[in-house]
Amino acid sequence: MHEATIAQSILNIVTDRLKSVGVAACALSVEIVLGEFRNVDPESLSFAFDSMKDFCPATSNCRLDINVINASALCSENAHNYRPVAELAYRCPACDGGIAKMVHGEELDVVNLIIEVADEEKKHARIAG
Amino acid sequence: MHESPDEHALERILGKNEEMAEHNSDHFQRSKTCVFNLMSAPGAGKTSLLEATLRSTKKQFTSAVIEGDMVGDLDADRIKALNVPVYQISTGRSCHLDAQMVGRLLHAESIVATQALFIENVGNLVCPAEFPLGEFRRVVLLSVTEGDDKPIKYPVIFRNCDLVVFTKCDLLEYVNFDLSAAEKNLKALNPKLKTMRVSSKTGDGIYEWINWLNSQMTEYQAQLKNEHHVHHAAH
Ligand SMILES: Nc1nc2c(ncn2[C@@H]2O[C@H](COP(=O)(O)OP(=O)(O)O)[C@@H](O)[C@H]2O)c(=O)[nH]1
Ligand SMILES: [Mg+2]
Ligand SMILES: [Zn+2]
Repeated sequence: MHEATIAQSILNIVTDRLKSVGVAACALSVEIVLGEFRNVDPESLSFAFDSMKDFCPATSNCRLDINVINASALCSENAHNYRPVAELAYRCPACDGGIAKMVHGEELDVVNLIIEVADEEKKHARIAG
Repeated sequence: MHESPDEHALERILGKNEEMAEHNSDHFQRSKTCVFNLMSAPGAGKTSLLEATLRSTKKQFTSAVIEGDMVGDLDADRIKALNVPVYQISTGRSCHLDAQMVGRLLHAESIVATQALFIENVGNLVCPAEFPLGEFRRVVLLSVTEGDDKPIKYPVIFRNCDLVVFTKCDLLEYVNFDLSAAEKNLKALNPKLKTMRVSSKTGDGIYEWINWLNSQMTEYQAQLKNEHHVHHAAH
C-alpha cells in the first residue's frame, strides 16, 4: 500500500524544514490533517511513519499526530450540508441528493511542526502554518 | 482533483507528486499529446479495451501506450503485437504509477510524436487515485463481474475521475450486476461523471468509447489553442 510513500513524503517535508532552519535541529512532532475521503489508513500510516523515522537521527524522536477530518458535503438538490457515508451511498439523508461540493474530507496536509534547536538553552521553536 | 485543502496547511503531503504531474502536463501540452490515465482493479479489462481501441483507431489518430505493472511485461507484448509504440514501467513494490516515473518518459520519441497517449495504471482501485500523472482525463474501468458495490467500497477513485467504463458487458446475463443502481451511485459521488458500457470481446459499445476519446482529444486541442491565444494576447 502507499502509506509508506505518504510517510516518506511527510518525513521529507520535515527534514527539508529542519534544513531550512540553518542550525542543527531535530523534530519533536509533526501534525497532519487527513480527510476521510482520501485513501489513507491512519493506522498503517502511523506504523509506516514509526518504522521509517529512525533512519534519520533528526526525526527519530518525532511523533506523528494525525487529525482525521470527517467528510462534509453540500448536496446537489438543496445544498444541504451533510456527512456522506457509505451506508447511505454517500447521499444526502434529507433529500437523497449527491455530492455537489466537498467542503471537508479531502485534506492531506502537514499543518504543524515542532522542532528543537540544539543550542545550550534548548529553545523550542514552532514553525507555524 | 481533491477540492478541499486545509486552510492552515503548511504543506500538501503529496505536493511533490502534484508539482511533477503539472510539469508532465506542460510537456504533454507542448507536444500536443492528449493523455488518458486508465485505472481499474486487476483484470477488469484495461489491456483488452486498449487492444480493441488501438485496432479500430489506426486511421483516426496516432497512439502510444505506457504499461505500468508491478512485474513482467506481458501487457506490453500484447500492445507491441499491434505495432503500437509501448513503454513499460515496472513499479516493483509500488502499487501505483507516480508522476516521477511517467516523467522519465517525457522525451521518448513516440511519446512526443503521438496524438493520444494511454497510460495503463497498476491494477488497483486504491492507490492510483492519489497520484495524478499529468493526464488530461482519468478513466476508471469497472467490470460487471466485480459487483455493483464497488463505487460504494472505493468512493475516492470514482469521485476523482472523468469517465467510468463498465466492461465485460457481454457477461451481464450471467452475473447479478445492477447497472442502473451502479450508475446512480456513481452520479451521487460525482455529478459530472459520465458512464458507458462496453464489451471488448463482442465490440459492443466500443464505437461510443472511441467517439468519447475523439471528443476529448478535440476538446484538448481547442483548449491548447485558447491558451495559445491568451498567451499571445498577454504580450
Ligand atoms: N467476457 C469478456 N472477457 C473479457 C473482456 N475484456 C477482458 N476480458 C478478459 O478478462 C481478463 C483480464 O483482461 P485484461 O484486459 O488483461 O485486464 P487488465 O488486467 O485490466 O488489463 C482476460 O482473461 C480477458 O480475456 C470482455 O469484454 N468480455
Ligand atoms: Mg493489463
Ligand atoms: Zn439534501
